[in-house]
Amino acid sequence: MSLLAAVLEPERTHDLVAALVVAQLAAPALALLGIGIPPLLGRPLSERTTSRLVGTGFATAFLAALVMFGVLAGRGFAPETVHLGTWFSFDRHAATIDLVADGLSVPYVCFSTGLCLLVNAFAGRYLHREPGFTRFFVLLAVFGTGMNLMVLAGSFDVLFAGWELIGISSTLLIGFFHERPNAVRAAIRAFVTYRICDVGLLAASVVAHTAVGSGDFDRLFHGGWPDATCLVPAAPATLLALLLIFATLGKTAQVPFTGWLPLAMEGPTPSSAIFYGALSIHAGAYVLLRCEPLLQAAPLAGWLLVTIGSVTAAHANAVGRVQTDLKSMLAYGSMAQAGLIFVEIGLGWRVVPLVHVVSHAILRSLQILRSPSALHDRHTLVAALGGQPGAGRSWTDRLPQAWRLAIYRLALDRGYEEMAVARLVVEPFRRLVDRLDAWERAGADWLGDLRLRGPRDREPLP
Amino acid sequence: MPASESTRDAVAQAIADTARFLPTQGPIDVFVAQNILQGFEDRPYEAAVVEAAGLFGTEPFMPESVYREELARGRIRAADIEAAVDAELGDTGGTRLAAGRVTLHALRLALLKHPVHQEDDDAVRWTLTEREPFATADAQDLWHACMEAVSLFRPAVLDGRPPARPRDLIVAVAPALDTDALVHPRLIRLCAAFLDQGVAARQMPGRDLGLLQASARLLAWPFGPVEPWATRLSGAMKAVRGRDSLDVIVDEIHAIGVPPSHRDEVVGRTLLALRGWAGMIHQLEQRPDRTPVRRVPARLADFLALRLVLDRLAAEWAAAAFGRAGDMAGLWTDLRDRHPPQRGPGSVARAFLLCQVAQLVGLTAADIRGLDAPDLAELERAVQQFDAVARRRLFHLAYERRHRIVTLDALAAHEAAPPPADRPAAQAVFCMDDRCESFRRHLEERGPEWETFGAAGFFFVPMYYRGIDDWHATPLCPIVMRPQHTVFEVPVEEAAGRHRLRQAVRRTLGRLQGGVSSAHRTLLGGSLLAAVGGAIAAVPLVARVVFPRSTDRMARTTTELGRGRVATRLLVDRQEDRPLADGTFAGFTVGEQAAIVRRLLEDIGLTRRFAPLVAVLGHGSTSLNNPHESAYDCGACGGGRGGANARAFALMANDPRVRRRLAAAGLAIPADTVFIGGMLDTCSNALVFYDRDHVPPTHRDELAAFTVACDIARAADAQERCRRFASVPLNVSTDEALRCVEARAADLAQVRPELGHATNAVCLIGRRQRSRGLFLDRRAFLVSYDPEADADGAILARTLAAVGPVAAGINLAYTLSRIDPIGYGCGTKLPHNITGLIGVMDGHASDLRTGLPWQTVEIHEPVRLLVVIDAPPDRITTAIARVPAVERLVANRWVHLAAWHGSRGGLASFAGGQFVAYVPESDRLPTVPRSVDWFAGHRGHLPPVRTAAALGGGLR
Repeated sequence: MSLLAAVLEPERTHDLVAALVVAQLAAPALALLGIGIPPLLGRPLSERTTSRLVGTGFATAFLAALVMFGVLAGRGFAPETVHLGTWFSFDRHAATIDLVADGLSVPYVCFSTGLCLLVNAFAGRYLHREPGFTRFFVLLAVFGTGMNLMVLAGSFDVLFAGWELIGISSTLLIGFFHERPNAVRAAIRAFVTYRICDVGLLAASVVAHTAVGSGDFDRLFHGGWPDATCLVPAAPATLLALLLIFATLGKTAQVPFTGWLPLAMEGPTPSSAIFYGALSIHAGAYVLLRCEPLLQAAPLAGWLLVTIGSVTAAHANAVGRVQTDLKSMLAYGSMAQAGLIFVEIGLGWRVVPLVHVVSHAILRSLQILRSPSALHDRHTLVAALGGQPGAGRSWTDRLPQAWRLAIYRLALDRGYEEMAVARLVVEPFRRLVDRLDAWERAGADWLGDLRLRGPRDREPLP
Repeated sequence: MPASESTRDAVAQAIADTARFLPTQGPIDVFVAQNILQGFEDRPYEAAVVEAAGLFGTEPFMPESVYREELARGRIRAADIEAAVDAELGDTGGTRLAAGRVTLHALRLALLKHPVHQEDDDAVRWTLTEREPFATADAQDLWHACMEAVSLFRPAVLDGRPPARPRDLIVAVAPALDTDALVHPRLIRLCAAFLDQGVAARQMPGRDLGLLQASARLLAWPFGPVEPWATRLSGAMKAVRGRDSLDVIVDEIHAIGVPPSHRDEVVGRTLLALRGWAGMIHQLEQRPDRTPVRRVPARLADFLALRLVLDRLAAEWAAAAFGRAGDMAGLWTDLRDRHPPQRGPGSVARAFLLCQVAQLVGLTAADIRGLDAPDLAELERAVQQFDAVARRRLFHLAYERRHRIVTLDALAAHEAAPPPADRPAAQAVFCMDDRCESFRRHLEERGPEWETFGAAGFFFVPMYYRGIDDWHATPLCPIVMRPQHTVFEVPVEEAAGRHRLRQAVRRTLGRLQGGVSSAHRTLLGGSLLAAVGGAIAAVPLVARVVFPRSTDRMARTTTELGRGRVATRLLVDRQEDRPLADGTFAGFTVGEQAAIVRRLLEDIGLTRRFAPLVAVLGHGSTSLNNPHESAYDCGACGGGRGGANARAFALMANDPRVRRRLAAAGLAIPADTVFIGGMLDTCSNALVFYDRDHVPPTHRDELAAFTVACDIARAADAQERCRRFASVPLNVSTDEALRCVEARAADLAQVRPELGHATNAVCLIGRRQRSRGLFLDRRAFLVSYDPEADADGAILARTLAAVGPVAAGINLAYTLSRIDPIGYGCGTKLPHNITGLIGVMDGHASDLRTGLPWQTVEIHEPVRLLVVIDAPPDRITTAIARVPAVERLVANRWVHLAAWHGSRGGLASFAGGQFVAYVPESDRLPTVPRSVDWFAGHRGHLPPVRTAAALGGGLR
């Protein structure tokens, strides 16, 4: 009854929503502390306790999300902003800690915490007796907290914090098997990509503060999702939108930042599923949906999104078709769908991309979790068909041989992205570092008049 | 320029020489556990593992720390270590060192019992300055004496031969410049594309040309940018087009600057640099019939040629860093000269080691000062010779010795079951598999009326088998055999119509499913599916993860409802006199059937005292989300499931025509004996019987009683299995245990659906009457053999030929994968990624991972198989001499061998080429009522015990 009363009374609804929003952030964060601190004190928890604590955290957040969904649905998803405090302020600038529950964030948080809960249950069995068991769950809890923070963010500042938590947990999970050089290489690759793109989000935050004196979404936009309007003038709105698009290219693996995604499949299967099949890969789409009034105000940005999305989708589709391992194939599948979602957002659609995100995420994570069954599934399929499934036909079959070779080569070399990065980024950077190193040595020699000949040739100590 | 014929032959020979060391694992859907070091079987085990470690960069034994822990907890005893040192040193153990103050034997024993730390100069200096290591003035004095001593003589120089392969030279001199790290991503991509069996929607063009030419055609076109090291890739590939691989190999080795004198070494090392992929190409070249879907012209020479072209390009690029661009021969010579020679330890480190040794063997400072230079040098050499590998070898021998003693003592102390007076109610023939040991034991514990036998699980019915749901026939027999017959499963006549309907439904569903999975690959189809299918996919996702067992049951029930169950029969009888298209015959003639039945019954010694019911039970394993699923199936069926073999055997043995022929040959099966086939799922513990309707009404009661006994046994067996799963509580009841193993088989998230052959260690060949009632902890292959019916050893010889290599192969696959889980095993399953439907990689691009996963071997004790044969020693020797494959394993100690004959005890172990009477260490063998009383509450390995219930009395 009290709940009903609360729903009826606007005053108390706000308090209830505030409590629920805080619960969604606090539950996974407390679980994180609960499992993270004991090992630091030298008393690691048992596997069962670890996975149960994190599971309880996610379950609490999930329940809170469901209740909030009920409460808000009863009011037609009118947005509710929860102000938790101000980080700092001067003049008319204020960095506030604001969260928002509305027609976008509430359904999305139900879906994302639900998926976290599911992967938590899966991983508790899958990672049994793995040396990094606790580490995995710590990172999963970091991710869950970051995800909820990002989804419920009411300002650029909070959004950025959540975004960064997602990025760091993703990096560390790619490098989960840190004894293998390939895993570490892939993690660094992802990390560098993320950091480059994060500049966009940080700059967007600064631009927003400069333009309207605040990073709060309710100062930038007016009205509830999806019918909000933009309060930012056209010129800064375009700049903001472009910066945001740049920020999302990395995590969503869009052209030209596609190369890290297939490499990211180095971690344990459940983390690959939730990050690159389900949630992390769509974080960019969520941010763009959150800021959709900006895109309305900046048609240029919309067209850019359509272009990037369609180029990525075409690229990922062509490359995905020649991949010979399950996880790369699925990675390119994710990438293609993420590209299409970008196109949909760019076209100004709102509900379609949201539905696309949710259902694609569920389907893809099931596929990744099931990927070790490929042989089993194949046998079942072959038995049912009474023979091998025929290779699908494609329009490329009609091209001359040279063209087909060229297309195959392009796809096998993953659009030459790897080579371009090696030649245009890594190699010049390496040369620069080598040159700096040489200068430093020369300088040191000159300063100390030492004839340093490099550590290898050093005389052994007496 | 084509190379001369002799050069080509030499290269081909070098390839063949290395090819035998490549992994022998075929495509992963038929995983057969084999000796991972098959290529080394012609040399003694202890030397072979060390040699292999040098070649592959693997570990020959477990880490020393593990053995020390085992020593501390009593798994290895001091007596074992002493015995191992004694056996190794023989008469030389008395050699005196340090002017007679210590013997070699005492020195080695001291080094084994107490760890010494071999560290480099800097580490020792740090210890000395930071840690105050000297507790007493004496110790300080000893240290000074040792410092003085090492300055008196020069250390033995360790010879380090520089490698010949340019990449190895480059890395040795400039560790940051690993050309393999540049070449491998591209090479792996090409190999995977070439071998793909159906993951990619678009196949590599020109695969029929072979790996080299297909790659050359693809890479010769200057289509786009390449990595900095490969700027001349297209030119190099153009030059290769249309050329023979061996010629390319010769030219490339020349071009990379390696003189012909080192060509063979470069060939070998280059092939081993990515040995998983090279091994798979070699396997598909040798056994194209094992290719799962589409045969490809795999040739190892193509792989080597392609790899050498890429290696050369990368080396040329690296040459610039050494200021020798364009002068590859000069670079090679230069790097060989610059190759850092292996330096011995510095003087501080030597003194530190000497000091520790002096303390261990009780030499004082005065003693050290009293030694002259030759004495000191001799002492140091003796310490150095007993390096970490030598210590680990001795530890390992001690570790194995303890296991041997525990087992042999139990066998010596165990009393054979009294010969049963009555006719047994049922006899069950199982696979020899170690996993069946517990099932048999639990069945026997139900009472003396149940008897069991063990044989190779294809029951001597070698066949291609095509079930009604299979699209092609698969071989069900050991991997070394090629069947001559095909057996079909067909619906019974009344059900033919239903079967057609069912097939049509299945095909439609399959097309739909196939359509769905190919639609995923198209953009539009994928997004449509994602949009529509997402909501639908949520149901199986949640259900499979949260309620695996119920979901699986529901899925099975709905499938069966939808398609209907169809009664079937096997066509074991010869159908036509003409062979089928593949050259095999459909079905067996009556004569062939009689021979098969006779072979099995004679081999297992079941030629009289037939029970009214004889069950023949094959086995297989079902699990989800497990690329290595086939590794859990029956090894004797070549990684297939033995149910069809058991079913076929029962049909043959029930055939009156077969029985008449057998009776004529002196093997009379009573008319009231009925055979029935079945299959045990070693993962879910499910047991099915085939053709129950063939059992005459007179035998229904027997079958019902046997089924009840089996149901109790499989629940008890599930309970025994569950004690090994750390995630299952130790106090689990039999019913809970059964539900638990069923859930594991259906759980997507379960990486240990079952533990396979882990812990296997013993192979017992002999009368079950002698070992019945002995708890062997699921660690023993049990093969039935009656020495009394085999005076000339012919049956023993053919039994050994059938089971020896299979059991040893399984044991060595587990043992080596456990000793080096990364080098010989395939590491943890968690990052595994199925590639081309032929194998798994770690993550997105790695070598193809062969061997067993860590989750499977985690609890395995790496000991060589102890084969105990219930026969007189001389007969064993003669029988083994007739089977070269087994003789090689025994002579080179890849298995341990013991004879178990005579009355009570009567064991002799095989050592140094002959049998030596075995003297038990203890004759205590505890007795418990049932197995559960022994294993309840324990997770670890358990020693054997006598279970009274199986012996039909006492404590029941």
